[in-house]
Amino acid sequence: MKLTRPARAAQSETIIALIDVVFFLLIFFMLIGRMDATAPFEVTPPHAETGRDMPAGGITLAISAKGALALDGDDMRPEDLPDVLSEHLQDNPDLRLRINAHRAAELRNVLPLVSRAQQLGFRDVVLVVTPETGG
Amino acid sequence: MILKRASRPRALISLVPMIDVMLILLVFFMVTSTYLNLDMIPALRASDGATGPAATPTDTVMIRLGADGVPVIRGRPLSGSELDSLLRSTIAADPLTQVLILPSGAASTQALISVMDKAAQADVQQLRVLRLEVQP
Repeated sequence: MKLTRPARAAQSETIIALIDVVFFLLIFFMLIGRMDATAPFEVTPPHAETGRDMPAGGITLAISAKGALALDGDDMRPEDLPDVLSEHLQDNPDLRLRINAHRAAELRNVLPLVSRAQQLGFRDVVLVVTPETGG
Repeated sequence: MILKRASRPRALISLVPMIDVMLILLVFFMVTSTYLNLDMIPALRASDGATGPAATPTDTVMIRLGADGVPVIRGRPLSGSELDSLLRSTIAADPLTQVLILPSGAASTQALISVMDKAAQADVQQLRVLRLEVQP
């Protein structure tokens, strides 16, 4: 009598590798995606070739082409802006103010805000630009 | 004699729902992520208000920026390439030349940034933007 060893069941495809890959992709997208408050209006930053990398942190003041303001995504009346900025500055004296002005915004709506920020005590004010010509 | 069926091994916790959730999260982040390529140009530096400038400018170039965004130096409108070559030759002659930009309030932000961009490319060390204020 010849005894035959029962055939081993075919090993199912391991899905551990798939889970690993999906996990890596998930963590990758979670890390590189920066949740940023966007303005309630369209803002296309001006094009510049000599801009520097923008560090994270700070508050963002968006200025639309028509001169409307938004601070960290919330609509802001110009008369309320100094008080709100002062409150932020009291919490963090080294706070960075990022001015994200639309490339078509008139300078009469932009430059006074830079001066106002300086008067309020901001020491780090940057203008947001983009290296892409198309915006 | 009672024959008992061998008890089946207890199934592991199914991984399929977890994979489904992870895939949904992955697709969500891939679809909702927008990639903004943003840089910055400093408008105010901490050293701007410090006393004692690093170097005294020996010469000054004033660039007026009209409402149409055209830079004007000494009454002469300049194209982008002309402004670039003029700034480069000025800085080559005197690296400490101070460049002042006096923009019209009606000029666009892009026009100012373009002039600042040209100045940075020409390696201008001392750049200031002036603003006229109406006294009340």
